[in-house]
Amino acid sequence: MLLRKSRVAIVILAGVLAAPFVKPDRADAIPAFSRQHKTECSTCHTVYPELNEFGEAFLKNNYVYPGKKGAAKTAEGKDSKSEWAWLSGLPEMIPVSFTATIDAAYDRDAFDGNELDLSSRSLRLQAGGTFRDAAAFFATYNLYTQGAQTGPVANNPTVNANTPPNNNPNISELFLIWREAFGTPVNVKVGRMEPNVSLWKRSNKVIVVPPFASTSYLVGNSPFSVDAPEDALEINGVLGNRLFFAGGVVDRNGQNQNDGYGRLALKIGGTDYKGEEPEIDLDNESVWDYLAITLGAYGYKGRNGDFDQIGIARNMNSFYRAGAEIDILYKRLHLKGSGSFGRDANPLFLATPSALETHAVSAEGEYYLGAPINLVPLFRYDFQEGVDGATRRYIPAIAYTPLQNTKLTLEYIFTDAPTGINRTALASLAFSL
Amino acid sequence: MKKVLVTMLLIALSATAAQAGLRVVGRGAERQFDPSSFPPAMKANYDVVRVKCVKCHTLERLVVAVQTGVAPISGQPFDRSATKAYGIKMLRKPDSNMTKGQVKQAVDLMNYLLSEAER
Repeated sequence: MLLRKSRVAIVILAGVLAAPFVKPDRADAIPAFSRQHKTECSTCHTVYPELNEFGEAFLKNNYVYPGKKGAAKTAEGKDSKSEWAWLSGLPEMIPVSFTATIDAAYDRDAFDGNELDLSSRSLRLQAGGTFRDAAAFFATYNLYTQGAQTGPVANNPTVNANTPPNNNPNISELFLIWREAFGTPVNVKVGRMEPNVSLWKRSNKVIVVPPFASTSYLVGNSPFSVDAPEDALEINGVLGNRLFFAGGVVDRNGQNQNDGYGRLALKIGGTDYKGEEPEIDLDNESVWDYLAITLGAYGYKGRNGDFDQIGIARNMNSFYRAGAEIDILYKRLHLKGSGSFGRDANPLFLATPSALETHAVSAEGEYYLGAPINLVPLFRYDFQEGVDGATRRYIPAIAYTPLQNTKLTLEYIFTDAPTGINRTALASLAFSL
Repeated sequence: MKKVLVTMLLIALSATAAQAGLRVVGRGAERQFDPSSFPPAMKANYDVVRVKCVKCHTLERLVVAVQTGVAPISGQPFDRSATKAYGIKMLRKPDSNMTKGQVKQAVDLMNYLLSEAER
């Protein structure tokens, strides 16, 4: 009993000993979907926000429950008393959710000496759903993300509070999808979105902080990364149930030139992109009963610059990124590998350009424990090359979900960067409602 | 004697006939099939379902699917091809922790329940 208590104490202590990373969790499959379809989080998630195979199919089907055409009609109540909702194309209930994150970070080398930082990190509003089967929408809005506490503090209780100010609230994602336009398999998506290039959206991870280096790395002064939300027009779709394609155009501000991107993903084995299960012989064993391999490749080409006082981009930087990814799922073992390379013609936005070629790699292994899954130990390796040299991160972590909507993650982040070595322990408590 | 009669009456009231040959006990989310009239093999299969499936959802889902012929979450037809697909889905889902043999038992049970419901 004493041993058990001391173990609990160690876990709690480890939770308290944890670096503030400002970017909050994003969640794509959200409680609004759970309420709409009257099903539990684990229908679409391993531990949220990471998607399982069915959740991936739900996402690819633009938030319509995978299955026969018309299935969503029943779920949304065409045949129930809410005919008004169906005729109006409205969701029956307001499809809104919230996700909150509370962090505790321990950094012995914190620049302000605040070694242990307990923080109510973020509160996000999410909305998502469909208008019948014809259109879908998704939005995330940052209600609060912790800002920096800097400058002289006025002797005023309302200003002198020991709570960091809010960064400016903003729309992180807001898009509308025209599903199966003109009766074709092509979906048309418009609005602010994360370009559909990677096998995993930024949020589609067991731990979302820090994000994968391969899709989030920055070069010089350029704010571009392939996973940053942009105002874009995208077409995507599924061919033959196992091939996913996407291509889009991003409106780059301050200039009259747009970025472009494209992606292909092929899934071999496992549940296909339409949510259909593979044919399995229940009397004989085969490795493909449990194995699913997904291969992905993408390219992104664009141009950005340093905005002047009137918002015109100057000292232009033409860049591209190309990447290849693999996702392997076998029973309770989940492996993810992602590599990318690129070139920036003027990443420092200088009058005299100096080009730089870069590459980044991320690899993660997860193992699912529990039935239903409630404990996930994992290890991640990140490598990225910047203007100043290479950075490597080694992250052992564990995620625990006592309830499907509540998650505690404990991470140890060892960073070997050109500026030195940093060791940070981070405990993060997230819950959605 | 009176107590026994009252008890029997209450049990009879709480058990509703789902379909011919299938009896359902309990109310709301507690509804489940009464396996007392199942053949021995199906009783064993039902024991697997009663232990494994309830880790993630109630048995009411099974009752609704069999009674209506429509899966309650997806709204899709619940027929013999669907039972195998659900079995495979659960086999591949780590949450279920089910072996192939157990999945086969669950699929056999669902097919049996569908046959009984069709009578």
